[in-house]
Amino acid sequence: MKKYLPKILFLTSLMTLVIVPSQSQEKPKITPYLELQYFKDTDEQAYLKSTLTYSMNRMVLPLAGMVINFSDGSGGQSLASMVTDDKGVAKLLLGGEVKLPVNKEGFWSFGSEFKGNDTVDGANSEIAVKDLKLEMTLSLADSIKNITLKAHSPLNGEEVPVSDEVITVYVSRMFSLLPVGEATLDETGTSTIEFPSDIPGDENGNITIIAKLEENPTYGNIEKSVTEKWGIPTSYSVPTTHRALWTKTPPMWMIITLSILLAGVWGHYFFAIISLILIKIDSKRKKSKDEYLT
Amino acid sequence: MQADRKLLNDLTPELVQTSTKWYVTFFIFLAFFAVGIYALILQIDKGHIVTGMRDNVVWGFYIVNFIFFMGLSYSGALISGVLHLFHTGWRKPVIRMAELITVISLIIGPFFIFFCIGRLDRLYFLFIHPRIQSPITWDVIAISTDLVGCFIYLYLSFIEDFAILRDFSELNVAPWKKKLYKILSLGFSGTEKQRKLLLNARTIMAAMIIAIAIIVYSVLAWIFGVTLQPGWHSTIFGPYFVIAAVFSGTGLLIILMWIFRKVYHLEEYITKRHFVNVGVLLTIIAAFYGYFTFSDYLTKWYGSIKMDSILIDKLFNQYYSLFIFANYIGILLPGIIIAFPKFRTIRNITVAAIIALLALWVNRYIIVIPTLETPFLPIQDFRTDWIKYTPTWVEWALTLAGVSVFAMLFMLVSKIVPIISISEMQERDQNEVMK
Amino acid sequence: MKKKKSTETGGSSRRSFIRKLGAGVGAVSIAGIPGASVIGNNNPGSGEKIKLLSPDGTLVEVDKENIRPVKETVAILKEEARKGLPGRKFIMVIDLAKCRNARKCVEACQEGHMLPRDHEWIKLYLLQDDKNTAPYWLPRPCFHCDKPMCVSVCPVGATYKRDDGIVLVDNQRCIGCKFCMTGCPYSARVFNWKDPGVKLPPGHAYDPETNIPPVEGTVGKCVFCADKLRKNELPRCVTACPMGVIYFGDLLEDTVTNGEETVRFSKLMKDLAGYRYREELGTLPNVYYLPPIHRMFPVETGLEDTDEEISKRYKDAGPR
Repeated sequence: MKKYLPKILFLTSLMTLVIVPSQSQEKPKITPYLELQYFKDTDEQAYLKSTLTYSMNRMVLPLAGMVINFSDGSGGQSLASMVTDDKGVAKLLLGGEVKLPVNKEGFWSFGSEFKGNDTVDGANSEIAVKDLKLEMTLSLADSIKNITLKAHSPLNGEEVPVSDEVITVYVSRMFSLLPVGEATLDETGTSTIEFPSDIPGDENGNITIIAKLEENPTYGNIEKSVTEKWGIPTSYSVPTTHRALWTKTPPMWMIITLSILLAGVWGHYFFAIISLILIKIDSKRKKSKDEYLT
Repeated sequence: MQADRKLLNDLTPELVQTSTKWYVTFFIFLAFFAVGIYALILQIDKGHIVTGMRDNVVWGFYIVNFIFFMGLSYSGALISGVLHLFHTGWRKPVIRMAELITVISLIIGPFFIFFCIGRLDRLYFLFIHPRIQSPITWDVIAISTDLVGCFIYLYLSFIEDFAILRDFSELNVAPWKKKLYKILSLGFSGTEKQRKLLLNARTIMAAMIIAIAIIVYSVLAWIFGVTLQPGWHSTIFGPYFVIAAVFSGTGLLIILMWIFRKVYHLEEYITKRHFVNVGVLLTIIAAFYGYFTFSDYLTKWYGSIKMDSILIDKLFNQYYSLFIFANYIGILLPGIIIAFPKFRTIRNITVAAIIALLALWVNRYIIVIPTLETPFLPIQDFRTDWIKYTPTWVEWALTLAGVSVFAMLFMLVSKIVPIISISEMQERDQNEVMK
Repeated sequence: MKKKKSTETGGSSRRSFIRKLGAGVGAVSIAGIPGASVIGNNNPGSGEKIKLLSPDGTLVEVDKENIRPVKETVAILKEEARKGLPGRKFIMVIDLAKCRNARKCVEACQEGHMLPRDHEWIKLYLLQDDKNTAPYWLPRPCFHCDKPMCVSVCPVGATYKRDDGIVLVDNQRCIGCKFCMTGCPYSARVFNWKDPGVKLPPGHAYDPETNIPPVEGTVGKCVFCADKLRKNELPRCVTACPMGVIYFGDLLEDTVTNGEETVRFSKLMKDLAGYRYREELGTLPNVYYLPPIHRMFPVETGLEDTDEEISKRYKDAGPR
């Protein structure tokens, strides 16, 4: 028996090597797609947005509740960990002044990483962005509305104008943003475009104008918005006493006709019933008269 | 109140005794009614899915029956009301039957609407949350008014008879009936003043019944007429439905005349002359009805409006036999039978009336259902019951139950009140004597 | 407990509070108060706090003033549903050139409103006006007409048109007479012929803007996802369409979007010759169609990828 022990041990370990891994590899892990973007909103607040999704049957689905680790790419130090929401998005607020080291060309480097778990593989993503300051000024000349955009990026303490980038101007609407113009920055980092004057606004003519530099490989996503009375005042209200077939209050002629008809008919009924009552009264009187006479 | 002895002997036996045949017939109808109740419970329990109605044909048998029964109520309006205002004498034996048809069909009609309503537990919303702009609200108001008016009118016609029966001391009826006659006769004793009051009331109510009947049936027609559906959005629907209603009411009257004449042995009172007269009325109305039908379909067929053409196409292909029966045979056959003196026997006239009545029911069917099967957006479905309406046994059972209730109510009333108005016959005899 | 965001004062803030908390607190029984629900916003109230147990087992503390019976919650929701969103007039534009019968709109709508499989509030038709004209797929939601025949004929006021243009059905008022179904020339309404077997999820009070759950014996129809519009989100069919066929927006803003593209409505109509289905019926629908020119896919692709059960429907499709 002792002679066969090594053989038995060898076979058992061989079987374990085959069986155990095959059990744990029953379901293939999901390969996710991790995207990292840099945003700066109109109040100069910068933030990182990382989206974790996967694709199945040609549909893109979010991965919620996953932990994303944000890091400063150049130093490798961890910034924070955020959990993705039900749309697979994790956001990290960087604040007004991003005090992180830049490299020689003035780029920050950011990284986001998803460590992975039993069902999903890990993934990471890195971006390098430069800071950009965007200014938007509204001006009126001969009743033509103009928007002037100026962009510059700091480099070694100096403000260098940003040229050749396309900034799209939108108007904020209920469900989305309506594009109204596109401005290409010239060599001085400036561009002026005309703003259409037939955009409907709220009751007072207010509209929110948003200028966006979108998904730029160098500068990320920069946004600047302003609310101005450049829209056409629009107000809409239906008078509550609107009389129609489909409203609460019926047309006057209907009420009048119905009332007249009902009053007329039921009036006649009333008259007929009065006659019946009179017959009854008369018969009672006659009966008592007969009884009196007999 | 006194009445002629002969009249009393001839017209009161049914109040006193009941034959076995009556009981047997009554229980047969009761059985149908019971099946109907079962079908109704099944429908309330399982939902309207047990009927043949589906998302396109949302109105089926129940609405057809509703319109049909409401239409029958016209017989009272015409025979009793109109002819009363014209003081025609020959109609006197059949007045009561006509008025009873009116009231009973007015009671049964609304029940078919109830069967069609998805949420019976919310029916009272029609009264606490009404919208005047809706034709259904007009209908609710009109039918309630009509029902009350017809009841008053019927009661007015009973008073004299109740007085006669009250005073007919040899009447061998159960004590509760005697008490009933006493109370309901309001102590009427035929004095000059009382007669005048009664006559005035009856004349007013006769005029009202005619007016309200026209309004009720037009409102019913406008439930269809005001919608945009092809085939329904027709300006002629108001008058068309009124004529069709009078037609069906008259037809039913002839049938009932025949039945009661035979069963209650009233050959002396309901004579061939009555059949011929009501039959002639039937023919005249058939002519009007045919004219309206022709006018409606001619304008639809001649004009090239696509939806009208699709509908006409469906009527002449899928519904060919029903269409021919309702609009050709139903009009021409009664006309032929009554127009030629050779054909004018009591039996033939009754057969003509039966055909007319059935043709009218089918006419309602082909007004309601084919339109719903040809909506503006074509029905694109693979389920046959969504494409073509097929009534289920539940709907047949309830239809039959409705007819049974009609018959049962009639039979019951004939046991309490003489089916031919004694007072009217008395008056007729007196008028003839005076002549 | 989530931090209450301060929203507009008044009725709509109550509604948004109900929505946020709805998922967290059961509407049926709260700490032994049967039939109660939490409603109200930033109400200083009596100061007296009550501890409630939400269905997922967490303990929450609510001011006693903010607890109302479910019936009152429903009444408030219904009142809001009748008023609608102020200053809006919703329209939809459907681009027939892109529709290929993917039916994602139908599925998203059925899922979002807990509909049984045979109820389709948005329905796809395969039409061909004449043998010489092109066939096309027509998605047909409710048109929310400006002169709605269905509203005119309802005898109890269960269906109503509100100021922002949306026509809704109140499942608790409907008596099931089906007059609205014969009144609508576009066959846009469906009826619950049998018990749909759907229960109101816990934490939800009945709201005509979602109209869930469907009730036996009443009528249902497309509601332009009025509940989503309150959150500035697009209706479910708009976001679900893979081809971006359906555009939705506010006529007063003159803008429509399909989730990806945002365009000016007047420009879209002018450039692509938009029209309404059967304009001559005069109901003034609020759904516009863009004619099927320069089709992206041939019409037949709509029959290829679908279930046989669905494609069987269209075997008789063609000019009538």
